[in-house]
Amino acid sequence: MCDVQGKLVAWLDRELTPEEAGAVERHVEGCHECRRLVATYERVSQTLDAYCDGVMAAKAPRQTRWVPVLAGALIAATAVCVAFVRTRVVPPAVVEPTIPVASAPLPGPHVAGPVLHKPTIRRPHPAPHIRELARQEQPMDAAIQIAIPAEAMFPPGAVPDGINFIVDLRIAPDGSVKQVSLRQ
Amino acid sequence: MSDDSVPLALPLPRLAAGSAEVAALYRQLRKPLLRYLACLGLTSDEAQDVVQDTFLSLQRHLASGGDQENIRGWVFRVAHNLARNRQTSYHRRYGETLDGGKDFPAQVATPEQVVLEKEKLRRFAAAIHLLAKSERECLLLRAAGLRYREIGEVLGIATSTVGDTVERAMKKLAEKCNVRCSRQTRRLA
Repeated sequence: MCDVQGKLVAWLDRELTPEEAGAVERHVEGCHECRRLVATYERVSQTLDAYCDGVMAAKAPRQTRWVPVLAGALIAATAVCVAFVRTRVVPPAVVEPTIPVASAPLPGPHVAGPVLHKPTIRRPHPAPHIRELARQEQPMDAAIQIAIPAEAMFPPGAVPDGINFIVDLRIAPDGSVKQVSLRQ
Repeated sequence: MSDDSVPLALPLPRLAAGSAEVAALYRQLRKPLLRYLACLGLTSDEAQDVVQDTFLSLQRHLASGGDQENIRGWVFRVAHNLARNRQTSYHRRYGETLDGGKDFPAQVATPEQVVLEKEKLRRFAAAIHLLAKSERECLLLRAAGLRYREIGEVLGIATSTVGDTVERAMKKLAEKCNVRCSRQTRRLA
């Protein structure tokens, strides 16, 4: 074993004095074993550098690839929009409110008029108070005209035949009669 | 060995806090610092934080008129100590394989070379793991570009001890690499 073998790494790192470095250099030029060791140390140093670079690169935060992320988000948003539009399109079962005029004789003065059907269109109201106003304006409060034959109210012969009384009925939202007014 | 025969890589003029020289020092030392801290076991975010804290300390050090001799060694010493303080379970993390089980990015092209390069670095990581702590730290600081005198100041040991430790660590790594290479050769034969 050569005496300079313990200084080979320091010589490679240029940590020796000029005199020591010169002595080592002259020895290495003529010593096959030390040249082999120097080559090995250089290879180890390169591998150590590669190792340190590898550790640093392996710990670096991975960059997010935005193209597939954005594409996925776009597809998901499109699917949600399509599903939402399909659920919102409800065929409106529009039923015209009819005001029935009863010409047939009624058994009694209390006549419950038919409940009006409001078309059910799912349309969200923008605010609760607007929803309340809309509910108050429902045509449930509208007057219903009914005709009551005079024979049903008076004994026969008291009034001429063919005379009917027209009554306006106002129905409360709960279905009960809110107001009864006789028009004729 | 010479302590002052080789000038430092940073022949800096007198530094002032917030000066352009400090910015240049930051640009020059940031990557070696990050690499060294990553090899110590810190994550990327932790290493970034330590580098920032180190240069904040440098600003305070310069603003208070601190010593400017061997400023590069000073920066590495502060970063080294901050890294040690940050690691709550330093020994456990330090005892782990330094690659953390992660794949090394390959710099070569063909799949065979990728596999060979990864395998080589994995075995090298295992060999480094078998070194003593002081040997490992000396080698990592040397790989960061520090001179033996600077390494001695970072680790608080004499320059001659650094030389002996580096020589011993390199010899161990060379022997392990040679043994593994010869075993591989025999297996292939």
